[in-house]
Amino acid sequence: MSVAIQWHSLFFLLMALAACGAALAVVLSANVVRMAFWLVVSLGAVAGLFFLAGADLVGTLQLMVYVGGTLVLLVFGVMLTARQPFVDMRTAPTQWLVAALVGASLLAVLWQAALSVDRWAGRGQTLADRQAQAEPTAAPLGLALVGVRVDKPDQADPRLRDGMAGYLLPFEVISVHLVVVLIGAAHLARAKRRPTSPEPPQTPRTPE
Amino acid sequence: MNLLTQPVGPMHYLLVGAVLFVCGVICMTAKRNALGVLMGIELVLNGATLNFVAFGSRFLRGDSASSLGLDGQLMALFVIVLAAAEAAVALAIALNFYHTHATIDVDDASELKG
Amino acid sequence: MTLDRLLPLLLGLAWLLPLASFAAIVFFGPRMGKGGKGAGYVATAAIGLAMVLSLVALGGWLLGNPVTLIEPTAGPAEEHAEGPAEGHAEGLAAGKVVEIVRPIAGNWYTLAEFGSLRLTIGYYIDALTVVMFAMVTLVAFCIHVYSFGYMHEELDEVTDPMVTADDGGPLRRPGRFHRFFQYLSLFCFSMLGLVVAGNLAMVFVFWELVGICSYFLIGFYHERSTATNAANKAFIVNRVGDFGMLVGLMALWGALGTLAFGNVREAPGRVSRGVFRLVRSAENDYRLTVPDRMVRQAARAEVEKIYRTAPTRRDAEEQIAGKIPEWRDEGYGYWLLVIAGLGIFCGCVGKSAQFPLHVWLPDAMEGPTPVSALIHAATMVAAGVYLVGRFYPVFTPEVLLVIAVVGCVTLFIAATIALVATDIKRVLAYSTVSQLGYMMFALGLGGWRAGLFHLVNHAFFKALLFLGSGSVIHATGTNEMPRMGGLLKKMPWTAYTMLAGCLAISGAGVPLVIGLSGYYSKDAILAQALSAWRAGSSPVYAVLCVVAMGAAALTAFYMFRLWYLTFLGRPRDHHVFEHAHESPKVMVAPLVVLAVFSVISGWPVLLTNLSLTNVLDQARPKGTEAGSAGGVLIPWLTAPAEHLAEDHAIHVPASLLAFALALAGFLVATAFYGVRRIDPDRVRRACAPVYRFLRNKWWFDELYGAVFVRPAMRISGWIAAVDREGIDRFVDGLAGLCRRVSVLDDWIDRTFVDRTVDRIAQGVHAAGLWLRTFQTGRLRSYVLLVAVGTVGGFIIVSVYWQFVLAGHGRMGP
Repeated sequence: MSVAIQWHSLFFLLMALAACGAALAVVLSANVVRMAFWLVVSLGAVAGLFFLAGADLVGTLQLMVYVGGTLVLLVFGVMLTARQPFVDMRTAPTQWLVAALVGASLLAVLWQAALSVDRWAGRGQTLADRQAQAEPTAAPLGLALVGVRVDKPDQADPRLRDGMAGYLLPFEVISVHLVVVLIGAAHLARAKRRPTSPEPPQTPRTPE
Repeated sequence: MNLLTQPVGPMHYLLVGAVLFVCGVICMTAKRNALGVLMGIELVLNGATLNFVAFGSRFLRGDSASSLGLDGQLMALFVIVLAAAEAAVALAIALNFYHTHATIDVDDASELKG
Repeated sequence: MTLDRLLPLLLGLAWLLPLASFAAIVFFGPRMGKGGKGAGYVATAAIGLAMVLSLVALGGWLLGNPVTLIEPTAGPAEEHAEGPAEGHAEGLAAGKVVEIVRPIAGNWYTLAEFGSLRLTIGYYIDALTVVMFAMVTLVAFCIHVYSFGYMHEELDEVTDPMVTADDGGPLRRPGRFHRFFQYLSLFCFSMLGLVVAGNLAMVFVFWELVGICSYFLIGFYHERSTATNAANKAFIVNRVGDFGMLVGLMALWGALGTLAFGNVREAPGRVSRGVFRLVRSAENDYRLTVPDRMVRQAARAEVEKIYRTAPTRRDAEEQIAGKIPEWRDEGYGYWLLVIAGLGIFCGCVGKSAQFPLHVWLPDAMEGPTPVSALIHAATMVAAGVYLVGRFYPVFTPEVLLVIAVVGCVTLFIAATIALVATDIKRVLAYSTVSQLGYMMFALGLGGWRAGLFHLVNHAFFKALLFLGSGSVIHATGTNEMPRMGGLLKKMPWTAYTMLAGCLAISGAGVPLVIGLSGYYSKDAILAQALSAWRAGSSPVYAVLCVVAMGAAALTAFYMFRLWYLTFLGRPRDHHVFEHAHESPKVMVAPLVVLAVFSVISGWPVLLTNLSLTNVLDQARPKGTEAGSAGGVLIPWLTAPAEHLAEDHAIHVPASLLAFALALAGFLVATAFYGVRRIDPDRVRRACAPVYRFLRNKWWFDELYGAVFVRPAMRISGWIAAVDREGIDRFVDGLAGLCRRVSVLDDWIDRTFVDRTVDRIAQGVHAAGLWLRTFQTGRLRSYVLLVAVGTVGGFIIVSVYWQFVLAGHGRMGP
């Protein structure tokens, strides 16, 4: 080996394999609780991938909001509905086959698209060059959220220099959106008057 | 391996993102448990987020001129937030469904009622 | 106001009054009075008023044109100067004659002009017209009054015993009182129009009109098939005659270019000549000459030759004008004149029921008796004689001979049939035919005045006889004389008036002194016949004269036979006798009036020259007063001047002979039926074949049936068969073919088109059902589909990029 190992690439590979493997595990697990676990793993690996791409804020937020919030919510949901028949619901093999076929074709298409552009391959640059270009992103991101784009003046490509206004408006919109979602979700999940005799659970039907 | 000696470009991230996306789609298609479907959605969103980040990363691109820069990361941010919101709502719906029909099987939710 | 203006006005009004009555009854008839009785009043009032106007016109004429006597002009003796004509002039001292009065001719209204032919409504008024008007309206008035009584049962529902209804009993039908008077009014209008007509076209129109009125009236009881058959027969037989009339009309028009009778002043200074003046012009002394136009028409070939050889048109015309007299002498154009005359006479044969078209008149007795009296005795059948009299100046001697012969044959045939007829109306019908034959006979022999005088007299006494017989029929309910008898006591008025009629028709009177009307006219006819015998060089005239005299005896016989059988003797049917009663006054009064006229119409007004014969003489056609001798084609013809017949050498023998014959007939009738010395049955058995022959009316109906009717039916049967078998089969075949084609079309439609459409519909339905399965409502399926769609979209777009936009491979960023 005369060429040095790119440690960045190695870690990338590890994280990628973890993410993909965990995702596969999510798919292949029959038990919904196990699925939740593998999802956590997968999303964590994705957070790692974010870090490796230089998006540290995004990675952090992934871990905090996504894994720590959303997935916990999901697990809550799993727990709340964890009656035995629902934990191991199985689908018919035929349907698995069809899903797998569709998935495979979609994968093929997407991979073909990804592999077809030479410039995305990332060749021709050393790590040192890359590192020179990396920047901390948290502060610019924050400032952009309040409406100041500090990264724009440095933009070499004159085409990308437009839009000095930041993402204040989307920020606002999303905030409102979140409020609305919260209220809606709360309303949806409110306690309702239960019928006197709850319906007996349906026997798992044989899937077509 | 080629990959170990060569630097990583957006292409690799795209490949991973594609795998996650496809896994999410398969989950959505093949899981009967509503929460399984939700998990699939999460995977899909993550796959897309990976794409955003890959394109927005100056590090990966090599020349800062051709990446999206902050925009990519900002999109990723928004996606995460929205994913959370959406997960909340979806969970609320699923629980509601569970309360009224005493089942979490999406195959039973074929009547546009209730 | 001069007579020239007054007379057309009076006669025109008299003519149109019945038309107004007809129109009124047509529109309002059923509503006039109870059962339509008002219609009768309207019609009678109209004809009564017409009668008054006619009498006023007559009075006016007589005042304006008093009868004047003058010396007769020389005859045509100078033309064929040997033998008979001269002998005639030598032996006879001709007395005075009445001066001829010029007629009044004019046009009321011009309907249309076709080149030289003008169709006008015009008048030709001379003494004959005025006398005819007076006679027709008088007789019609009497008959209208009579009809009030006779047609009384038509006011209510009528039970007709001669028709069986569907239920087997006699037919019951609503009455048609107003219809009767409606048709009577129309008839009077038509007849008067015919009399006043100033041109042949108008005559023809009214000729047909009287024919159709006769048809309506004969078929008045139209539920009876006998009546309808008789009406058809009358009309069809008349039509046969009318065909000849049309031929004559066309010949005249083609040759002369006009159909008007008299000269009409169209504009001051311009007078268009009528037929009479064209044929007998003043330049030719009113002798019958073929007019120039006719000669030229007949010599067409010669005219063309001249046109071809002559240098200019003017030269040609001059040459032709010079040659016309030559051609005339050669006889060109004479035939046309003969044809014209024969054609017109043909129409008269039909209308006046002469041999051979006499067969319709006896059958026409199916109509009500007033109809028989008015139409088939007094007026319509007289129209033929009237036209012969009117058209007299145009008849060539050949035509006159034909007229005389036809008249003679007719009078003989009809008299013989009347001998054995048992239906009272049939006897009178045949008597009418016979008397019409007498009139034609007289006219043909040159007795213009005699014939027309007999016409007027005959109208009165025949109408009287018919109305009387109607009275008898009405009272007894039967027509058959063998069922009558002894009715004298029961119906005295009818009996005595009918006796007057019988005497009149037989020619009763004191010879050479005085007599009833028929006596004078019969006398005049027989005198003329005798005169012709003397003047004529052919035995034909002898035969004609003898036959006419023999028939006079027959006339007396059958008329008194009728009277005796009806009124004298023991009643042969007691039921009929019980039922008989005298008719009401409304029916008897006309009988009396007509009886009076039957008696006096031959007498002159006391101490004056005014008599019917003299008045008629005023209308004698100019040029005919000297008679005629010899025709171009047949030299031995003669029609002696009428005034010569008054000479004692002719008149006395004629009178005595006539009286003797009438007396003989009367005595024989009395012997048979009056005092019953001879048994009619024995005589009948002795002459059985003759009896059968006469009883079957000389088998004319059977002859015509075999020769005309049955072949026509057979031909029509063949044609119907052709139509049925050939044409109908063909059409039905086409229809069947069409139907089969349509069945085939239907099968094609059902099998192919419907299937196709159904298949398409089914396909769509199946597609819909299949598509429905996609909407499962299942989340997972939807997701799957989204994914498949995405993949598919990618593939399609990449294919598009790679293969359609050729040459473009991978896209760069």
